[in-house]
Amino acid sequence: MSVFEGFKFRKVSSVVHNLDPRVKFFFVLVLFVMAVLFTNFLALLVLFLVPLPFVFVAKVNRQWLRSLRGAALLAIFIFATNFIFGYFYPTSLSGITQPVDTLFEYVVLLERSVAMTLRFVVLISSFSVFFLTTSPDHLGLALQQSHVPYEFCFAFTTAVRFVPVLADEAQTIMDAQKARGLELERGNLFKRVRNYIPILIPLIVNAIRRSLELAESMESRAWGASKKRTNLYELKLKRADYVLVVISVLMLICAVYVWLFVPVPSLTTLLSL
Amino acid sequence: MAVIKTNDLTYTYPGATKPSIEKVSLTINKGDFVILTGPSGCGKTTLCRCFNGLVPHFYNGKLEGTLTVAGLDVAEHQIYELARHVGLVFQNPENQLFALSVEKDVAFGLENFAMPREEMRKRVEWALKMAGISELAERPPHELSGGQQQRVAIASVLAMQPDIMILDEPTSFLDPLGAEKIFEVINDLNKKLGITTILVEHRLDLAAKYANHVIVMDNGKVALTGSPREIFSSEEARLIGVGIPKATKLYQHLKKNGVELKSVPVTTEEAANLLREVLKNA
Ligand SMILES: Nc1ncnc2c1ncn2[C@@H]1O[C@H](COP(=O)(O)OP(=O)(O)OP(=O)(O)O)[C@@H](O)[C@H]1O
Ligand SMILES: [Mg+2]
Repeated sequence: MSVFEGFKFRKVSSVVHNLDPRVKFFFVLVLFVMAVLFTNFLALLVLFLVPLPFVFVAKVNRQWLRSLRGAALLAIFIFATNFIFGYFYPTSLSGITQPVDTLFEYVVLLERSVAMTLRFVVLISSFSVFFLTTSPDHLGLALQQSHVPYEFCFAFTTAVRFVPVLADEAQTIMDAQKARGLELERGNLFKRVRNYIPILIPLIVNAIRRSLELAESMESRAWGASKKRTNLYELKLKRADYVLVVISVLMLICAVYVWLFVPVPSLTTLLSL
Repeated sequence: MAVIKTNDLTYTYPGATKPSIEKVSLTINKGDFVILTGPSGCGKTTLCRCFNGLVPHFYNGKLEGTLTVAGLDVAEHQIYELARHVGLVFQNPENQLFALSVEKDVAFGLENFAMPREEMRKRVEWALKMAGISELAERPPHELSGGQQQRVAIASVLAMQPDIMILDEPTSFLDPLGAEKIFEVINDLNKKLGITTILVEHRLDLAAKYANHVIVMDNGKVALTGSPREIFSSEEARLIGVGIPKATKLYQHLKKNGVELKSVPVTTEEAANLLREVLKNA
């Protein structure tokens, strides 16, 4: 069930949670662009540090760590590919020439591979900060106010609301079928997959019945009564949101300036001075 | 004044061979508290669906006869038009709440009506207060108890200020105490706001005392209709298997054994008072 735990959004309130999701998304996009601009270890390290205050202010450090841990395998893979490719196809740009033999060249290669991995970690980290601190309700609202069709936003929030319900139901069905003697962990891979059929069928049938009842209830509450619905909630930009917009824009300007005019030294050259 | 009037209403679900309700002719007056009861599968839910237009607009199928609700011919008006006049609360509270907060759920119908935000806020607060759940406004509905969820469902219908409120076995997922609380909320709305109420219910022991009109269905037809006392003391109701309140049953037993109470009791208190009188005279 731990897979579904992540979907259960608890209503938490913090400065970061209360930020406008659109602004938060803009901030994440800026981080994204910056991470793509730079291939330098030191620059990426700075980018990695930027969202950390958000993590701690929102008190989502545990969940944040968990999402990073989830990405660890992929990070290792990225590191390995970069290292191996760098070894066999060194480019003159990075200051190493074939064959890679001196200690210096190895260190440069290592730094570069770490930087590429860090770029990936920055992306994962900033996106997870966004999703960990944005309630599905807010997200749906943001979609709606960005002129995404209401049907889509509704489907999104409803899906989020029913995921834990369906997860519970799956567990109940599994227990019930096990009590009747169904053995899930038996046989080869093919058989194991087939074992899940007696669980999937009632789950799907129930889901369909549920959606029909849901549709009935929506219809009874005047779904489709007017072309343009109103909304109980409204996203309004507050002072903190403007501050974050300004910060994001400044960051972007700085990043582009540095990228164009300031050569960021690599750690290796810095240390060998 | 009749607020619901049906004449020879017959409806067959698409693909079904025989009609689920047959030649139903009924009149329900403004401000009535109606209990609709009868054995499982007799067509109570289907009749409720007719009253707010789910039948025939959502279910299709064949609807014959006439049906007027709040002055509107159901066959001619869309479900969302009828929704301004008729609210329907379903059996399973879980599947009729779909928002991520209670207030958002209660606002759903009003949003559909494109009500301005300020007015909507007031209306939502009012509905929550009437249902006695103001303090739950910001909670996620799926984390509430069944009884609380059902009250949210009632509030979400009430917010649209309907003339008629239909509740299809709203308490079948609840314990007796939770059920009683729901009945009290419903009764309040009926007596204070004058909302015509139709309650589908099996557990008449708890609900009977609020009603002034009982309709018993059997096999798709209206078998009995009248005042609670008349219906509960009738032989037909017993034969159909209506869950007659215990107080009324006691009356029947006593009568069979030669003790006649002055009137037909529906609640335990009434029965107690009548018995006391008989004992005093003895
Ligand atoms: N969606 C449907 N499609 C086809 N037939 C249906 C449908 N819903 C109900 N029926 C049939 O219509 C008849 C009346 O059902 P209905 O649900 O109205 O009974 P009910 O009195 O509400 O029963 P219960 O007390 O169990 O809720 C039943 O024979 C049922 O099989
Ligand atoms: Mg029913």
